[in-house]
Amino acid sequence: MAFLDTIMWPFSWAVSFILSLWHNVLGLLGLPEESGLNWALSIVLLVLVIRIILIPLFVRQIKSQRGMQIVQPELQKLQAKYKGKKDPVSRQAMVSEQQALFKKHKVNPFMTCLPILAQMPIFLALFWCLNRIGGGIGWGTTDTDYQAEGYFALSPSEVVSFAESRLLSVGMPDTFLGAVQGDPGLMGGTVAVIALTATMIVLMVSTQFFTQKQLMSKNMSEAALQGQFAQTQKMMLYVLPLVFVFGGVYFPVGVLIYWTATNFWTMGQQWWVIRNNPTPGSLAEKELNLRRAAKGLPPVGEDARKAREEAAKPKGEHKGQTSQPKKKKKKKKKGQR
Amino acid sequence: MTWIRHSDFYLEEFLSASPPPPEDSAASGTRGGHGVSPSPEQARNYWHWWRRAPSYPLIWFILFWRKMISPLYGEVCGFYPSCSAYGLEAVTVHGLVRGSVLTGWRILRCNPFTGGGVDHIPASSRVWPEQELPPIVKLNHPPIPRDPD
Repeated sequence: MAFLDTIMWPFSWAVSFILSLWHNVLGLLGLPEESGLNWALSIVLLVLVIRIILIPLFVRQIKSQRGMQIVQPELQKLQAKYKGKKDPVSRQAMVSEQQALFKKHKVNPFMTCLPILAQMPIFLALFWCLNRIGGGIGWGTTDTDYQAEGYFALSPSEVVSFAESRLLSVGMPDTFLGAVQGDPGLMGGTVAVIALTATMIVLMVSTQFFTQKQLMSKNMSEAALQGQFAQTQKMMLYVLPLVFVFGGVYFPVGVLIYWTATNFWTMGQQWWVIRNNPTPGSLAEKELNLRRAAKGLPPVGEDARKAREEAAKPKGEHKGQTSQPKKKKKKKKKGQR
Repeated sequence: MTWIRHSDFYLEEFLSASPPPPEDSAASGTRGGHGVSPSPEQARNYWHWWRRAPSYPLIWFILFWRKMISPLYGEVCGFYPSCSAYGLEAVTVHGLVRGSVLTGWRILRCNPFTGGGVDHIPASSRVWPEQELPPIVKLNHPPIPRDPD
């Protein structure tokens, strides 16, 4: 655990610092320092900060996904070229050409899961923070008394305030599993804790599922809906919610707030992307072009490309015989013979 | 005897044409000491063995890695040649010091942010008799067949 702690040090510090900052700001704005609402809002604002920082990463992810769809036909051409060639030399040549193709279209297979991976340290830092300051026995807890020593950027009094704060009479470090097992450290009543955590788990999982479903039904081109890439997406659709159902029972209320808020952000962000900048060839793009047509605007994306190609096609009309340029008669200058 | 230069694999015609052109040593005759057939003194000269010796422990380690450990996690490298293939060729053709530096730099570049691509080892001035050409060099530089169209 000491090794992980060392790696996590900057993240734990950043998370506790941002939390402490927002907690103080909200306190200045008049929210009582000890209230659970103050701490819950601080967590939501932490999500806001993290997600704003991560926007460039999402932009790169979207670009990579677009590139993957553009590259699909060329990849099939490549597979046809090396069909039946199983010898190592040909295999190597194929891999080499494939990598060059990915580079050319800026496709990066890592990018698909990077935004989720990038949030993991933040999530883990918050998870540990709540587990440790609550004084319960959960994953990542140590012998240190954080309520006396403070937790990274959180002062001892802030740690006590965070650990003792209640949202709808449920404590921030309470978990679903703790309530079911009758953990003596539980702050809220068993029924209240189960009701609140269960509601939040359902909210968290359904937003996750809805976001992925929307992505697949609206923002993927027909070419991308078949093949390997679509299979991965389909797995994400059903497996990730399942992971969060089983993981959710271990999450303290504070972590559930974080994860639900971040899912709502993802949903909004994706709604915006689908509406204003859809994938070429997807259903969302057709809808965008219908809206644009209603306003009298020219189409964008795939339809615009088709229109351009249509205009560039030879019409088959004979333009008639072109006349030879005629030689102009030169005027003779005076005095010239 | 035919000699092959590492830099032969970087020639424009090799990269586009199907069969690798066997480079005759007559063309590389200006490179000191490498005749068409080495004289008996040259054949008895073990200097090149001594020169290569320091890199062998690392070469064996990378070979072991590629044989036993790489298959456990499959193809994950974003580059071509993959990091281990790059490392093996780099140490084989550039020697222990330069090869290790090149490999280290490549492993640092192999992360989600660089985006991979085709990235060959810088050409070296090393030459081999045709039958002694290390297999990794051939493996990393497959002739790319022409597109059918």
